[in-house]
Amino acid sequence: MGKDVAFLAEYSAGGAARSALELAAGAAALARQSGGIAVALAYGPGSGKAGELGAAGAVKVVVLGDAPAPAITFAAAASAVVAELRPLALMAPATPNGRDLAAALVGLLGLPAFGPVRAVSIEGGNVRSEQATLQGSVITSSEPVEGAPQPAVVLVLPSTFTPAEGGSGTATVTPAPAGEPGPFGRATVVESHPAEAAVANLEEASVIVAGGRGVGSAEGFAPLHELAAALGGAVGASRAAADAGWVPYQLQIGQTGKVVKPALYVGCGISGAIQHRVGMQTAENVLAINKDPDAPIGEFADLFVVGDLFTIVPKLTAEIRRRKGT
Amino acid sequence: MRIVVCIKQVPATTAEKRYTADLRLDRASAEAVINPLDEYAIEQALRLQESGAVETVGFLSMGPEQAAEALRRALAMGGDDATLVTDRALAGADEWATARVLAAALDRLAPDIALMGMASDDARGSLVPGAVAALRGLPLLSYGAELSVAGAHARIRRLTAAGFDVIEAPLPVVATVTDQVGEPRYASLKGIMAAKRKPMETWSLADLGLAAADLHGAALTRVVEARKPEAKPPTERVENASPDEAVGRIADWLAARKLI
Repeated sequence: MGKDVAFLAEYSAGGAARSALELAAGAAALARQSGGIAVALAYGPGSGKAGELGAAGAVKVVVLGDAPAPAITFAAAASAVVAELRPLALMAPATPNGRDLAAALVGLLGLPAFGPVRAVSIEGGNVRSEQATLQGSVITSSEPVEGAPQPAVVLVLPSTFTPAEGGSGTATVTPAPAGEPGPFGRATVVESHPAEAAVANLEEASVIVAGGRGVGSAEGFAPLHELAAALGGAVGASRAAADAGWVPYQLQIGQTGKVVKPALYVGCGISGAIQHRVGMQTAENVLAINKDPDAPIGEFADLFVVGDLFTIVPKLTAEIRRRKGT
Repeated sequence: MRIVVCIKQVPATTAEKRYTADLRLDRASAEAVINPLDEYAIEQALRLQESGAVETVGFLSMGPEQAAEALRRALAMGGDDATLVTDRALAGADEWATARVLAAALDRLAPDIALMGMASDDARGSLVPGAVAALRGLPLLSYGAELSVAGAHARIRRLTAAGFDVIEAPLPVVATVTDQVGEPRYASLKGIMAAKRKPMETWSLADLGLAAADLHGAALTRVVEARKPEAKPPTERVENASPDEAVGRIADWLAARKLI
């Protein structure tokens, strides 16, 4: 029975993804419970520097490859490492890349899979995952059945764990054994188009000001950007606003966009349909501003203000700046 | 050129859900629909067929007998034929078991593209497509905002952290598409009538050469507890207030929570 807790650590030109730091802290905490160590499986450009994850909680780092390829391209290497290591659990970020690589391991090694989870723990030596299913109407806790192969593959939502601060640990770094990428390597990036303007990473924002259909236009997002700046946050959107082309799809929150868990979520002109709600319902504080007193978001916001966002948002921005003295 | 779209029957998003005594979703109690995100995969396949890039479109589902209704609804939207894999031994199947069964069925159907939605509305793991690709030894093109076919290759446009990539792989492939492919069509009355005459086959596990023992009793996972989410405190409402009053209330609320 393996006791180690492994996790997928994604790298890009910008360095380690925030998910890698969160999972490192989570894996270290779980490994303390199971009596093992936290092991990072790092991939993507810059993953050669993944030894730095030692400060975040990892004791061992295996580098799967540093090509700027879809994560699933590293599945054969990851599979070989996991089959050799047989950790108790393997945590993956619940992002498109994390899910694909985790899915390939589930298929290649025949593994039990869980998530996306909002909590994971070790109970009596077993991995227990807690997940909101059916649009959050039910919370279920699940475990591998007795005799299931290890590891338990667990998809983890952003902000489930908090990155360790000021860690000084070190990690040993080894490359994954060389091997053929197999069929997954036949999918290749043939064109890469960067965005015209910088796009915020919503999963890393502690404050999100989101706009929906009620914002009415791309220009209508300007006061939301002002409010986000005053609060030190980022701007997000509902699917309606992204579909209308008012903001890039990378800012879409919800079932088919990002799942976020900020300290503060401000919904402006967002009705709060279930498809949006599943992307933000774990936000710690939810403020909604909507002119429709019957908008569904009024049912689950912490503070619901009925009014015109174009009047309230600029005044709120000014008031926040006044109180902060900025 | 043939596409098989894998679809899942799920409880309607707004339906009341119940769990059975053994903590499985009581699927008989809730109104069932085609997983809304699978409808985009259906739409993408039908558009490719209409453009002439694809000759036939088939549908595949694994589920209880009533999942045949979901397949009929898909056939009413268009396409040519459907296959249902149903077997009592599959009740409570987890992602690994589902992938194993779909992979076996797809091995037999042998499409050029096995197409799926980006997630299921009920479980949201999004692991089945990648696991099916792994089990079948095929490349995966996932989260396509658009799927196209050119010669012996399929390609997708996929969002990145900022911008998008075009990813290509030689056929056959497993692919998934997002809700950006375009709004799914409604079934016409003519389509609903035509669907009744389209062929639908039903396969058991034995037909696929699989036994319940191969599937570890349909799941490597088990639910140990199901409960309602914690009740949140009731919403505080600000109504019929002047803008200045409303802003004051919001700022006080933010300050009380140490958010400013």
